[in-house]
Amino acid sequence: MAPFGMDPAAWTVLRLLIAILGAIFLVFNGALAQIYFERKIQAIIQDRVGPIHTGPWGLLQTFADAIKLLGKEDIRARLTDRWFFLAAPAIVFSPMLASFAVLPFGPGIVGADLNIGLLYLTTLGSMTVLGIVIAGWASNNKYSLIGGLRSAGQLISYEVPQILSLVTVVLVVGSLSLTHIVDAQPGLKINLLILPLAFVTYFIAGLAETNRNPFDLPEAESELVAGFLTEYSGMRWGLFFVAEYGEVTVVSAIVTALWFGGWHGPFTDVHPVLGPLLGVLWFTAKTYFFVLVFMWIRATLPRLRIDQLMSLCWKLLIPVTLTNLLVTAALILAFPQSHIPIAVANWAMLALVIAAVPALQRRRLAALRHRLETRRPAAFISAERPG
Amino acid sequence: MSFDIIQTALFALLTIGVIGGAAGVVLINRITAAALLMAFTFLCMAGMFVLLGAETIAAFQVLIYVGAITVLILYGVMFTPQRERPYALFFQKQTPLAALVVVPIAIAVALLAFTFRDGGKAAAGGGDLPALATSVFRDFAFPFEVASVLLLAAMVGAIVLVRRDDE
Amino acid sequence: MSVPVGAFVAVSAVLFFIGVAGVLVRRNAVVILMCVELMLNATNLALVAFSRRAGLPDERGSVFVVFIFVIAAAEVAVGLAIVLSAYRNRPTVDVDEIHAMKG
Repeated sequence: MAPFGMDPAAWTVLRLLIAILGAIFLVFNGALAQIYFERKIQAIIQDRVGPIHTGPWGLLQTFADAIKLLGKEDIRARLTDRWFFLAAPAIVFSPMLASFAVLPFGPGIVGADLNIGLLYLTTLGSMTVLGIVIAGWASNNKYSLIGGLRSAGQLISYEVPQILSLVTVVLVVGSLSLTHIVDAQPGLKINLLILPLAFVTYFIAGLAETNRNPFDLPEAESELVAGFLTEYSGMRWGLFFVAEYGEVTVVSAIVTALWFGGWHGPFTDVHPVLGPLLGVLWFTAKTYFFVLVFMWIRATLPRLRIDQLMSLCWKLLIPVTLTNLLVTAALILAFPQSHIPIAVANWAMLALVIAAVPALQRRRLAALRHRLETRRPAAFISAERPG
Repeated sequence: MSFDIIQTALFALLTIGVIGGAAGVVLINRITAAALLMAFTFLCMAGMFVLLGAETIAAFQVLIYVGAITVLILYGVMFTPQRERPYALFFQKQTPLAALVVVPIAIAVALLAFTFRDGGKAAAGGGDLPALATSVFRDFAFPFEVASVLLLAAMVGAIVLVRRDDE
Repeated sequence: MSVPVGAFVAVSAVLFFIGVAGVLVRRNAVVILMCVELMLNATNLALVAFSRRAGLPDERGSVFVVFIFVIAAAEVAVGLAIVLSAYRNRPTVDVDEIHAMKG
């Protein structure tokens, strides 16, 4: 199975090395491309033109930004812990880079074919929380601390619907390995037709996990003076930024692999060498489509407040994902052969959620208005101030 | 196979990481540094689990210990700030007596540890996921449900314990 | 021949003893909780080592380890809740000073 008749063990190591180098290359170039796309898309949606001066159509704008970031002065405020301050961007960046090792870019093109691929990805997602808490703490700045703790709370809360949505897909496919999940969706029989509700909930939870709008309260420019990123300037901030875009790419890649057939597309089995490359092209195209959807949502929706964000997770997403999991599991036990009952149930639940949420919100708003007019305002969530 | 030397080298490195991190947790005065060294110990433990072939347990270890328990401990550290006072119980007059008692016990424990032998057949090479899943959900399903009830009770208890009285 | 199971057990024993030493020596309640976590990790390592190397068909030790994960997480949560409550009463987490129920 190894090319050029190499020793299979050596090929595993070599494949992993190629994956690591490829991941570093992809992440940094991807971040450059995504920064450009973000500015152009936000500009177009906001009825402006975006960068047009540097290079044709403003294509070299990102390079100019990167050079500016590299040249900035490394400001050293009086910090609580200098080593933690320096280590926090690395702790946030490394798990994201390690996630690229299990993504199936093409048929047989995967860094490491782990049979716990999805579990590995969720594990790496949970390590990012530690880096953000350390970044908030080490900045010696109460706004950073509050921003860091809020972001950590948000990330930990949204891991639950994320994992539950992934588990629903795993139940239907029967394997945690990403290559198996992609192989289970040949041609047009993609998992979206079977599990649309899981896709929607995972997408929303993924938006929150990557600190993107409408869940970017901890790091937005107009909130808490940029939250846990306040004291980071120059290339350290650039590293956080690249980590965020890399995480967006990873979440989009997971969505592509699980619900949209991964690298499947027309003409992938035409030629033994060109076919896989075409598979890589399809995978990248689908992933970047979802990255653009992330940016579209960012340019369109307003930001949620921290308590709205938390109640969305605990009061809406978790019951919905739990019910989805329960119903899917019951239907798999009842109808082990066909996926059609699961598909019907999922689409029905999705329609129910879309219809019920505005009605529930209207009722909740009326109750809140009534409560505000008759009693003193309810206490808001406030973080403790460390002595 | 040529992987044996790599496995032994990795085991040595991970042992240094685990023991060094644990010693740091006990000896270092600064609490935040101790918490992060504890996270480092947990990561090296996950590496040891991978070395044993229990990769699902390793993933759970990182997910639960590094991803959740370390963050909990860091919250606890941040919300209870204190002036650091050095603990004065080390390096007192009882050290020679302590060494006299500890060293024979340590040697006895180490000798005992190395009398265990590996079982007959090697474990299956596909990782531990299918066997673990079968065991948890089929043979030990009742303790699994009890564990979930315990988590619920702990969650409710923790929330009730930290509520302020005026809420 | 890969790493013998005795080596893993020895590491587990050393880690357990370091954890016990930490619980006995340190005065900060949060650090004591951290050392308890070290002890639990040591037992996890021993259990997984025996479970993977004993040649049994199923993974009983690993199942026990999963339950230990659950209980450790619950214990840290409740333990920190208790520490925070005590801190609210009197702003100290020094276990030598929290002795209102003593004697």
